[in-house]
Amino acid sequence: MTQQYSRFMRWTSRVVMLSMLAMGLPMQSAFAVMVDTNQAVSHELAGQDRAKISAFLDRADVLAQLQKQGVTANEAKARVYALTDDEAHNIAGKLDKLPAGGDGVLGVLLTIFIVLLITDILGFTKVFPFTHSINRR
Amino acid sequence: MSILNARSLVVGVFLLCLASCATPPQTRLMLGSPPASLPRHTELAKVPYFAQDAYQCGPASLAMSLNTVGFSVTPETLKPELYLPDRHGSLQVEMLAAARRNGAVAYQLAPELNDVLHEIAAGTPVVVLQNLAFSWYPVWHYAVVIGYDLDRAEIILRSGPEQRQVLPMRTFEYTWARSNYWAMVAMPPGKIPETADANSFIAAVSALEKISGTERVQSTYIAALKRWPGNLSAQIGAGNAAYQLHDLTRAEAAFRQAAHDHPDSVAALNNLAQTLSDQARYEEALEAAHQAVNLGGPLAQTAQQTLADIERAMKK
Repeated sequence: MTQQYSRFMRWTSRVVMLSMLAMGLPMQSAFAVMVDTNQAVSHELAGQDRAKISAFLDRADVLAQLQKQGVTANEAKARVYALTDDEAHNIAGKLDKLPAGGDGVLGVLLTIFIVLLITDILGFTKVFPFTHSINRR
Repeated sequence: MSILNARSLVVGVFLLCLASCATPPQTRLMLGSPPASLPRHTELAKVPYFAQDAYQCGPASLAMSLNTVGFSVTPETLKPELYLPDRHGSLQVEMLAAARRNGAVAYQLAPELNDVLHEIAAGTPVVVLQNLAFSWYPVWHYAVVIGYDLDRAEIILRSGPEQRQVLPMRTFEYTWARSNYWAMVAMPPGKIPETADANSFIAAVSALEKISGTERVQSTYIAALKRWPGNLSAQIGAGNAAYQLHDLTRAEAAFRQAAHDHPDSVAALNNLAQTLSDQARYEEALEAAHQAVNLGGPLAQTAQQTLADIERAMKK
C-alpha cells in the first residue's frame, strides 16, 4: 500500500513537473525566436529542453532545502526565483554544507580557544576583536 | 602532559612562529610590486556602517554595500531575503541574488587582491567572505572592504561589531584565502565595476534583467557596449535589450555590428534575422537566417525555427 502510494506520488509529481515545464516552453517562441542574452553568454545548452528540465529540478531541490533550513514557503519561492540557473545548480543538494557567513564564534571549545588566540596573535586568523597581530608584514 | 606531547607542542609553536614571518602570495606581490594604477592609500569613509545582530553579517554587509551605491535598504529588510535560520548564516549565491532583488547588478570579482583594491580606488566598496579561523574549524564571516594602505600594509574593513577594522594585509589574505578569495560588488544601473570582465559582467546584467525587467538594465547594456564595443556578449545584450523595448533600429544596429565582428555567431545572425523580419524586410532577414542555419552548432534548432517563421511570414 505504502509502496503503491509512493509510486503514485512519484508519477503525479512527474506529471505536474512536466506540465509546468510544458506551460513554460512554448511561451517564448510564440512571438519570436531570439537567442536570449544569457544563452549567448553562457555558450551552453541553456534554453534547450534538457537544460530546462535539469534547471527546474535544481530549483525544486533548492526550494525544498531552503524551507528545511527554516525559510518560510513564500520567501523561499522568492529567493529561488532570484537565483540564476547556474547558481541554483551550484547549491542544489548541498545547502547544508556550503559556507554560510554568520560569524558564530559561540561554543568554541577551550582548546580551540587557546589555539585561535595564538593564531590570532600570529596573524593567521582574526576571530577575537581584542587581539592584535604581532607581525604586520 | 607527557614529554612527547610537550615537545611536539614546542615544535608546533616554533613552526608557527617561522611561518608567521612568511607573507601570503597576493600580499607579497601587492607590496613587492604594487601596480602604478593604484593610489598608495584609499579609504571610502562615506560607506555607511550597520552594526550587526547575532549572525547577521550577511545582511549587514550587503546593506552597507547597497546603500553606498544608492539603494536604501537595511539589514532588517535584507534578512528575510538571504538569512538561513538553521545555518545561522547566509550563502554566497544568496548574497548575489539578494543584491539583484534590490535592483543592483551583483558582480563576483575575480579572486585577486589586485582587483579588490582597484574597486576600492574606483570608489566601490567590496563585500568579502572570510573564514576567520581554520579550514577544519571554519568561522565564516562577511565584511566590507572600504580601504587599504600600501605603505602600512593594511586593509580597512567594516566588519561585524567594528565600524573601522584595520587588519594587516597578510592577516586579511589568510582569512580571505580560506573562502577561495570570494568577493562581490553591487552596482547601480548604468555602472560597470572597474575590474569587470565583459562576459561575466553581461551574464550578471542578464541575471538582473530576468527578475527585474529589461527597462531597468537598458542603461547598463548601453554602458557595457560603450566600454567593450567589439565584445559579442555586450553587442547581443544591448541588441536584445533594445529589441525587448521595441527599439528595432537600435537592435538591428547592434546585431549587424555583432554579425560583422563575429561572423560565426549564430546568436547574432539569428537575432538580426528576427529583427529584420519584424520590420517586414524579409529578403534581408532570409539571408541572415540562412547564414545562421548554415553555421549549425547548439543553437541550430533556434536558427531553423527562425528561418521557418520568416518563410511562413513571407507567404502571407
